[in-house]
Amino acid sequence: MGNLLRIEWLKIKNYTAFKVIAIFFIIGIVLINLGTHFIYGKVSANTPAGDLIGAAFNPYSFTSTWQTTSYMSGFLLILPAMLILMLVTNEYTFRTNRQNVIDGWSRGEFISVKLMMAFLFALVSTIVVFVTALSFAAFTNTSFSFNSISHVGYFFLKAITYNMFAVLISVLVKKTGFAIGLFFIYLVGENFISNILDFWSIKLRDDKTMDPGSLGSYLPMNAADGLLTFPDNPLKSFAKGISPTDYKYVVLSFAIFYIVLFIIWSRRKYIKADL
Amino acid sequence: MAILTVENITKDYGKIKALKGVSFSVPQGCVFGILGPNGSGKTTLLGIVMNVLKATSGSYQLFDEPANYDHRKKIGTLLETPNFYHYLSAVQNLKITAAIKGLGEDDIEQVLQTVDLLKRKDSPFSTYSLGMKQRLAIGAALLGDPDVLVFDEPTNGLDPVGIAEIRNLIKDLSAKGKTIIMASHLLDEVEKVCTHVAILKQGDLLASGKVKEVFQESDIVQLAAGDNTSLKNILAKMNNYVRIDELNGVIELSYNAGTANLSAINKFCFDNGIVLSHLQLKKSNFESKFLELTN
Repeated sequence: MGNLLRIEWLKIKNYTAFKVIAIFFIIGIVLINLGTHFIYGKVSANTPAGDLIGAAFNPYSFTSTWQTTSYMSGFLLILPAMLILMLVTNEYTFRTNRQNVIDGWSRGEFISVKLMMAFLFALVSTIVVFVTALSFAAFTNTSFSFNSISHVGYFFLKAITYNMFAVLISVLVKKTGFAIGLFFIYLVGENFISNILDFWSIKLRDDKTMDPGSLGSYLPMNAADGLLTFPDNPLKSFAKGISPTDYKYVVLSFAIFYIVLFIIWSRRKYIKADL
Repeated sequence: MAILTVENITKDYGKIKALKGVSFSVPQGCVFGILGPNGSGKTTLLGIVMNVLKATSGSYQLFDEPANYDHRKKIGTLLETPNFYHYLSAVQNLKITAAIKGLGEDDIEQVLQTVDLLKRKDSPFSTYSLGMKQRLAIGAALLGDPDVLVFDEPTNGLDPVGIAEIRNLIKDLSAKGKTIIMASHLLDEVEKVCTHVAILKQGDLLASGKVKEVFQESDIVQLAAGDNTSLKNILAKMNNYVRIDELNGVIELSYNAGTANLSAINKFCFDNGIVLSHLQLKKSNFESKFLELTN
């Protein structure tokens, strides 16, 4: 695998879009968290909601920083997914996916190194989030703690979900523009359905027929997303009364199930189809 | 040893049958031409052998073994189009090819020299002309000095000088004992370069074997009379020819090269009460033979 990844690096390192998206992603993570920090300061200082939240709560202090940074940075996972969509569909456009196999890679090697790349992008994104969370908290004069670090793990899961889904869409669709378009349409569409399902979940619970939890969170892209939430605070507890029940481990199982599904599906498709 | 053996390969795209049970064998050291018009299945066949397409049925072997990816590492292949990363230079692209094949980077310069791209070796592939792209693809196939080369339409997009260079290159490679499998729709390319040939038409294998045997020269005698029907009946009694055809009111008799005797034919017809209005000897050449095979 090391040699395969080295070859993948030869393809990526001189790709302009790779550098641009990597820089945007890192700057984006810093900015979105700085923005949250700033807005939060304003809200807690100047509005009635601020009184409810209380001065004791700072989203970037230990231990909230892990959760806040993971949640906010999660919105930027679109960027590495887009890069993967471009990198994989490029191979089809350039027909280098054929040439790599002609030159002596097995089909399994080709798709495995793409999946491994998707995994590594998720890992690096997570490291960026970890460092950001740590740096923001360092300015808060709170004592260091790994409590709630699990949220960085959830971010990692969400990153893997997005990236593996990007590989799958690329392998199924092959055309760059079409793949990126479909990726976004799917995200928007699934969110829409997810919201309807969540609404229905609350209704089911209120009618006392059953309590299935947040049904929308059992969908592919919402499962990993559903684990990432803004830290609990008095204002949120207020809203929590009307939220669906949170079955964390069910959602976690779904998230892992979908990741495995994406990987197996991509591999099967690539190994069986005409290239 | 057979470099490549294909056995009864078929490939369907839905209802379209791109290959209909093709079998042949490529002996070591030959220049094997796969000849056929556009859409005859040449690239599909090579695509299957290179594992980028899946055959509907049939099997193939490389080096007398069931094909695997290590075999492909030892074969230099240009299939259909030059496939490279557009944003990378020639050198960067060839580094990737070399790494996939498990080769060092030592002969990249040498290969670029051979295909005359040294001056542009650091320009992005996207800035290359069609001919330069084609030459880079040939260069990539030459990396590691493989014993077997597969070229699909190698002179595509090249100017006359380039075409001559590539044909000479193929001859040189062949002289060094390399086995070359080459697909082409250009009859004269196959005639000039190949020792063996397989002819495909709409997925059917029409003929395969040594070029000399497949394109064996023959004499064709054209004749016509006032009444071609009775002429044909008379000619049916004569049985020293290989084949009889009728084309546009002219009857054609095919003989093995050098065996047609016009005066004997004329006398035979006259003795049987037919006066010929047309009698002519034609030597079949490569091209008419190809048309004969493919029509």
